[in-house]
This record gives sequence, C-alpha cells and structure tokens, in this order.
Amino acid sequence: MLTTSKTLDERAKNLKTIAREVRLNIIDMIYTAQSGHPGGALSAADIVTALYFDIMKFDPKNLKWPDRDRFILSKGHACPVWYACLAMKGAFPMKELKTLRQLNSILQGHPDKLKTPGVDMTTGSLGQGLSIGVGMALEGKLEKKNYHVFIVLGDGELNEGMIWEAAASAHKYHLDNLIAIVDRNHLQMDGFTEEVMPMEPINKKFQAFNWEVITIDGHNMKEILLALEKALTIKKRPICIIANTVKGKCVDFMENIREWHGLAPNEEQYKKAVECIRKGEQE
Amino acid sequence: MKKADVATRKAFSQRMLEYGEMDKHFVVFEADIGYSTYSYLFGEKYPERYFNMGIAESNTMGAAAGMAADGRTVIACSYGVFITMRAIETVRTFICYPNLNVKFLSSHGGITAAIDGVTHQATEDIAFMTTLPNMKVLVPADTIAAKKCFDLAIKTSGPVFIRLMRDPLFDVYDPDEEFLLGGSKILEKGNDITIVSYGDIIFQALESSAMLKKEGISAEIIDMYSVKPFDYQTLINSISKTGALLVVENHQKRNGLGYELSNFCLKNYPVLFDNMGLDDTFAESGKYDLVIEKYGISANHIAKKAMEIINKRK
Ligand SMILES: Cc1ncc(C[n+]2csc(CCOP(=O)(O)OP(=O)(O)O)c2C)c(N)n1
Ligand SMILES: [Mg+2]
Repeated sequence: MLTTSKTLDERAKNLKTIAREVRLNIIDMIYTAQSGHPGGALSAADIVTALYFDIMKFDPKNLKWPDRDRFILSKGHACPVWYACLAMKGAFPMKELKTLRQLNSILQGHPDKLKTPGVDMTTGSLGQGLSIGVGMALEGKLEKKNYHVFIVLGDGELNEGMIWEAAASAHKYHLDNLIAIVDRNHLQMDGFTEEVMPMEPINKKFQAFNWEVITIDGHNMKEILLALEKALTIKKRPICIIANTVKGKCVDFMENIREWHGLAPNEEQYKKAVECIRKGEQE
Repeated sequence: MKKADVATRKAFSQRMLEYGEMDKHFVVFEADIGYSTYSYLFGEKYPERYFNMGIAESNTMGAAAGMAADGRTVIACSYGVFITMRAIETVRTFICYPNLNVKFLSSHGGITAAIDGVTHQATEDIAFMTTLPNMKVLVPADTIAAKKCFDLAIKTSGPVFIRLMRDPLFDVYDPDEEFLLGGSKILEKGNDITIVSYGDIIFQALESSAMLKKEGISAEIIDMYSVKPFDYQTLINSISKTGALLVVENHQKRNGLGYELSNFCLKNYPVLFDNMGLDDTFAESGKYDLVIEKYGISANHIAKKAMEIINKRK
C-alpha cells in the first residue's frame, strides 16, 4: 500500500536498503544452489522491491486475498529476486531460500504456482506472461475488482510474437489495470539485444499498440516509485514502463557481462559479490 | 563405460561445425540459446550460414521451413520443450506435412535438465515428435553416438528430430561404431529379459543389469537410439529368446517408446511386458540422480521391475 505519510525521499531510501538485502539473498541462493540466473535477477531487484515493499496491495498473512495486486514474473528465470522478496515479506520462512533448485524444495528453478506460497502464476517459458496478465486483468474487470496486475518482462523476451498479440488484446479491452515493466538490461542469452534481435524503438512499438509508455532509470528508486504511481492513475489504456537497467547491477564483475546470465558464482566470486553489494551501503 | 567429457548437445554441435567444412550447403537456425545448444560454434565460423532469430521459436521454425522449401537442409536448434510444444503446429504443418529437410537439434531432453525444473524438462517430446508423419526421431546416448547421429540426420531425407542431453554422463561407443536409421545396439547380451531404453537411461539400464546379475538374472540391454523408425528385427530376435520385455525411458510413460513397443508386441509377438517412465506426473527441480531416483527411472527401480516381471513367469 502507499505509505503516504513518508516523503518520497524517505521511501526511496528505505527501499534502497531493502533492495540491498534482496540482492544479498539472490547471490546467496544462487551460490548455495550452484545454479541459477544472477544477471536478470539483479537487474530487476529495485523494481520488484519497490512493488512488494511499497506499491502493491499484498498481505503475506492472506496470500489468496481476492483484492490483492497480482504479480507475474514473466522472465521466470530471474525468480530468485521474487523468492527473496516473498520470503522477506513473510510469505514463507527465510530458511527456504537455501533450498533453491533442490529436490523437494518449494522453490523451483522457475516459478511454480502450486509449490511456492505467493506465486500467482507459473512461468519460465518466456513470452507468455503478458497474455496471462491480460487474462488476470480481464478477470479483475469482470469481478469489478480494483486490483492491478504487474508484470515484469525481459527485453529479450520481447522477441516473442505472443507479447505483441497480448499487447493488441490489452488495448482492445482498455486494460488500465495492466502494468507491464520491461527490464531493459540490453542483454539476452546470446548477447546484446540489439545484436541478437533488434527491437528498438520499444517505446514506439508499445505506443503504436495504444499503450501509455513511461521510460525511467530502473535503478533510481524515486523514478520507479513515481512511474508506478503515475501508472496507477492512468485510465482506459494499458501501461508499459520501460525501466533502463544494468544486467548484474551492484556486482561489478557481473555488470553487463553475457556470461553471468545463467552462471553461479564460485566461493571467491561469491565473497566478492557480497562485498560489492555491501559496499553500496556507504554510497 | 567411462565418464563423458562433453554432453551430447555439445558433441552434436561440434560435429555440426566439422561437417560445415565438408558440406557447404546446410544452414543453422538458432533461437537465442546458442551458448547452450553450442550452435554458436558454427555461428562463429560460418556467420553467413547462421541465423539467430532471438527468443521466438515459432518464427524460427517458420523461417527454417521457408529456407528449406526449395530443398536446402536446415538445422534448427532449441530446447525440446520449445521445439516440440511451443512451435509444434509450425513443425507439423510447415515442415512435416511438406516433408522438408529440417533437422532439429533438441537439447534438454527428458529430465536431463533436472535442476532447471519442469519448464525446461522435455518429458513429452517423444510422444509429440513420433506422432508426426514423416518425422524421424533419434536419441544418441553418448559423444560418439551424437556425432554419428548428426551425419545420419543430414543423410536422411525429410525432418529428423534429435533429442540431446544437458549434462555429460557416460561414453560407451567406439569411434568406428555404425549408426543407422532404424538401427539399435545390443549393449549386453542376456537370456532372461530384454530391457530396451534410449539416451541417458541406457546407463541406468546397464547399471541395473549388473544388479540383476548378482541375483542370477541375465538381461539383454538394447539401446534403441533410433526411436522412430525402431529396429523391430532386433527386438523380435531378443524377445523371442527372453520372452519378457521392459521398456524404460526418460519421458512420460504414456505415448513414449514403451507404448509403441507394447503395441508392436501385442500385434506381433506377445510377451511379458512392462514399461517405466514418468507416471502421468510432472517432475521437479533437483540434482539429476536424485530426480530420476524419486521419479522411478533409476537403476534400482529398473532392477526391481525386471525381477517382478521375471517372477510372473514362475
Ligand atoms: C520460450 C523460451 N525460449 C527460450 C528460453 C531460454 N532462455 C532463458 S532466459 C533467456 C534470455 C532472456 O533474456 P531477457 O528476456 O532479456 O531476460 P534477462 O536479460 O532479464 O535475464 C533465454 C533465451 C526460455 N526460457 N523460454
Ligand atoms: Mg535482458
């Protein structure tokens, strides 16, 4: 919920502290599992933190609350960021984070609706989350609910045709309760997005589908908060926030490096990563 | 049987790179997992014959069909789940129906992508691909087999699906071994029961055979690497000797090779029969060895099932 009693500066500062904790958990989980995708989890960390710790209607004691805001991590491979936020909110015990990707864990390699408390939809096959979001937004309209559906998309993921099929249908039904956030980190699995499959201008593409588009720095908490708050006020149009980010953000040796898309750190790298994230505290 | 250095996905792509020198005609399509399928090796050497279509599997298969329309051979690369499920209608109607020369490098077959979880585990791929008319299906178990299956796929006309594994397991074949469409390999000779498998589970079958030996049971182990068409002659020869057949696969129990062979036996040569695979369930994330143990397709389970079948005879 909006914590309007605090100033924007205070909220942003508080969220930055939480986001650091989220990043430490991400690195810890992937290191412990020796498997997972650090790059895209770190780039989305500030956005997902702002959603869960400030913007979204979410009650960890009542995960099936019908009026809750919905969240879909369409780029499902980045799920450590989601699991960290859910655990830190109290949806399940923190100690579960250590079980990521292990047999019998509630934390699957990609999000699993049936296994993880707080996960509203299974993902992991890219390009389909926006369609799921369209369905959830339509359901909200049909039930006359006020909830919003937030979807985090990868920029590489925008290659999938189904994304644009979803974009057209969101416009047709004037889904102003649908807010897509593109984690624009400029990398996908095989390299830089504009080399693998050029998608620019992304803003004009969404605009051409009659979406409202807001472009921000996806690591600036104040910009994130302002964009999300603006998105909540827009009527009759679906909203796309293009968040410019850095893949691997806050771990200097991972930043903008393709290899860190799906690689777990070894012990030495793990220690360095923790140090990097902690160092941010003094800044 | 020794530990393998490379996974079959990598071995296949290494051969694709070598073959690119001898055969300048074929091209490769990728869908943004080139560093995982290892197709990037080919792309680095032959950029003009390599097309990375991004994260867009249906478009990749459609474009592969278009490029193959006048007879060119195309190797289309992705993970099994995406080739066989995301893009299946394109594969069916635009590649299989017009019988085009598209060969599918399909990585992460079965639950060999154990750690990534269900979304990346192709456990229904054999059912989908063997059901498509004109499609042939190969599943190499090791490094040599993977390389030979590349050559075999190129030489076979029409669509060929090659199921590959994420992680290196074991090597069993010699470099001069021959692999044929509709062929199979008897890895161990035995008289009491025939155990048929393919891909990674062949190694579990071999391990189960060692366990069975201790119980005085000799199993004949057949690697049915050519899943479609399959080697019915070798199968008949074996089951007419053993009188019992167990089919084990890293796939849903339903509509895999087990169902195919049970149907064949019922019509042609009824014997004691059972089959093993995922029992109408999705698997989960975890270490490969632990996942195949939990879902009942490890050597222990195979040995136990083989004993059960044999005990029925007594
Ligand atoms: C349909 C589908 N195709 C391929 C993959 C394999 N894959 C996993 S992550 C990834 C790259 C994703 O890039 P992007 O969307 O930009 O995510 P991010 O950079 O935020 O990690 C790919 C190709 C997949 N999960 N789903
Ligand atoms: Mg990206």
